[in-house]
Amino acid sequence: MRLIYKLASRLALILLPIVTLWAVIFYYTMVEEINDESDDSLVEYAELIIRKQLAGVPLPPPNNGSNNSYSIELIENRGDVEPSMTFHDEMVYIPEQDDTEPARVLTTIFMDDSDNMYKLTVAMPTFERDDLLSAIFWHIIVLYAVLVISTLLVATLIFYNSMRPLYALLAWLDRYVPGRKIEPIPDSSVVEFHKLSMAARLAMSRAEEHFGRQKQFIDNASHELQTPLAVIGNRLEWLVDNTSLTEEQYMEISKIQHTLGSIVRLNRTLLLLTKIDNGQFPESAPVDMVALLKSEAEIYSDIYSDRNVALHMQLPHSYVVGMNDSLARTLVTNLLKNAYQHSSSGAAVRVTLMNRELRVYNNGQTALDGSRIFERFYHSGNSNSTGLGLALVHSICRYYGFAVTYSFMNGEHCFCVRFQSIIAKSNS
Amino acid sequence: MKLLVIEDDESLREIMTRALRAEGYIVETAATLFSAQDKIAGYNYECILLDIMLPDGSGLQLLRHIKELGKGDRVIIISARDSIDDKVEGLELGADDYLAKPFYMAELLARIRSVLRRGNASVNKVMTAGNISLDVHSRRASIGGNDIPLLKKEFDILLYFLQRPNHIVDKAVLAEAVWGDHVDMADNFSFVYAQVKNLRKKLTEAGATVNIKAVYGFGYKLTESDETNI
Repeated sequence: MRLIYKLASRLALILLPIVTLWAVIFYYTMVEEINDESDDSLVEYAELIIRKQLAGVPLPPPNNGSNNSYSIELIENRGDVEPSMTFHDEMVYIPEQDDTEPARVLTTIFMDDSDNMYKLTVAMPTFERDDLLSAIFWHIIVLYAVLVISTLLVATLIFYNSMRPLYALLAWLDRYVPGRKIEPIPDSSVVEFHKLSMAARLAMSRAEEHFGRQKQFIDNASHELQTPLAVIGNRLEWLVDNTSLTEEQYMEISKIQHTLGSIVRLNRTLLLLTKIDNGQFPESAPVDMVALLKSEAEIYSDIYSDRNVALHMQLPHSYVVGMNDSLARTLVTNLLKNAYQHSSSGAAVRVTLMNRELRVYNNGQTALDGSRIFERFYHSGNSNSTGLGLALVHSICRYYGFAVTYSFMNGEHCFCVRFQSIIAKSNS
Repeated sequence: MKLLVIEDDESLREIMTRALRAEGYIVETAATLFSAQDKIAGYNYECILLDIMLPDGSGLQLLRHIKELGKGDRVIIISARDSIDDKVEGLELGADDYLAKPFYMAELLARIRSVLRRGNASVNKVMTAGNISLDVHSRRASIGGNDIPLLKKEFDILLYFLQRPNHIVDKAVLAEAVWGDHVDMADNFSFVYAQVKNLRKKLTEAGATVNIKAVYGFGYKLTESDETNI
């Protein structure tokens, strides 16, 4: 979830109870205020009527057009008279309108000179509470909407404006790849962002140093191994060539040489991986993938001829990719080698090249762990492999920005290389 | 034939010296850039085997020095750094060949022979053994003057044997030399056996006076037979 959405939803959520509470308070205050006002005028009206009644002045007609009404009745039974003024809300029938309206009603009593006690009821139509309620409700809704929209608008504007250094830093982090050319880290005069930039710079320099040291280590270790490996190999060669050995001894030496050969290859591959990661293959030339595939596949069907692996190739006349010649060969070789090596007797290897996609299929029982298959030293049960072939494929594809994917369908493993830069090539 | 081996690793220097002496070369050694400069200044060598990474400097520096002296010494660079840049730089500086560590001694011997042959005025691109001769350029093989048809791989195998007569050739090394890195993970060498079997048959049929002998399950050895082959 983006920060701005989180901020917006929180602002909206917080505004909701505040506005609601305000609406409730506003409603009751309004009602009280209105009642208060109407009560005052009812009292005045009642006094006016009482005064006129007592003075014998003719009373105003019960209905004088103001919708105010009154009634005076003589109280017969004085026992249950409460000498007070009471206000209450009541529905009152208004003859002119032939309708009942909500009204504020004042009931009071008064006594004339002849000790007659009267009850005076004065009614004044007030408002319709429901109308007021719904009016307030709609106004609150509008107010809420306006408030939320304007708040969010302003908040977003301010947010993006003041968070600009953060987004610059985030964009930089997205672009950052250890070991590649580094753009300067965006900095800001705002203390917090400045601190963040500093932290990123520190982390980056640590990562760079680590990455460099690791590369250097693999590089050095691999190079340092070359001479001792040469010594062992050459001494074994000397033994074989210049001394008389028994068959048993020959076979032992053969096995040692076989193992030595694996170490030599492993070492060579590690060096190659380091070189690819260092971007030491700058020169690229047009390479015809089809010709390359054909010649390499021929060699593999030769080497694995005893397994009778059927090869089906579906290739265009030619397909030219601009890349380093030896990396192209390494890419193709390792894909084919992988397919042949994991094919059992009588299986089939399929190679297709269309729509910019090179696909190499081979039969298999179960899907492999697609998330780990391109890792270095990931073995799928075959101890004979270096575990680096697919890592090489992955490195080369990453170097050129090709997408390489693994899938398993209908009993076939499929490795697919898409010869199209997913990102603009940013090396060298 | 006098060779100078410049290599700082004692063990490697020793085994190289031993193998080269066994081939009949006169071998001198140097472990540092300094002592190598000394030797080069005082003597002439047919071929110098030069390690690039020396304790007191770069072999390329020495190579530049040798070329400045204007000596005709042949130089084969032996480097732990199998990088194209080093190779290109070395060859541009006038080295005759470049061999990456780790290498097979048989390969080194073949390279030395090839470099020394180039040194002789007649550029001899025909390899012979017994009554077999191979023209490396036109890729034609003949036995006793008669051309014999060989497939590409058969020719490569025979050429490899001819470069190493009387040496035992490991089948894995042969496979790697002929098929390249592709054989990395091959779990058996039946494809090598099949090719060698065909080659042998063709050689025998054509009456070749060399024999490719199998050495247990280890590999092969090319020998010239005094008596006629059967």
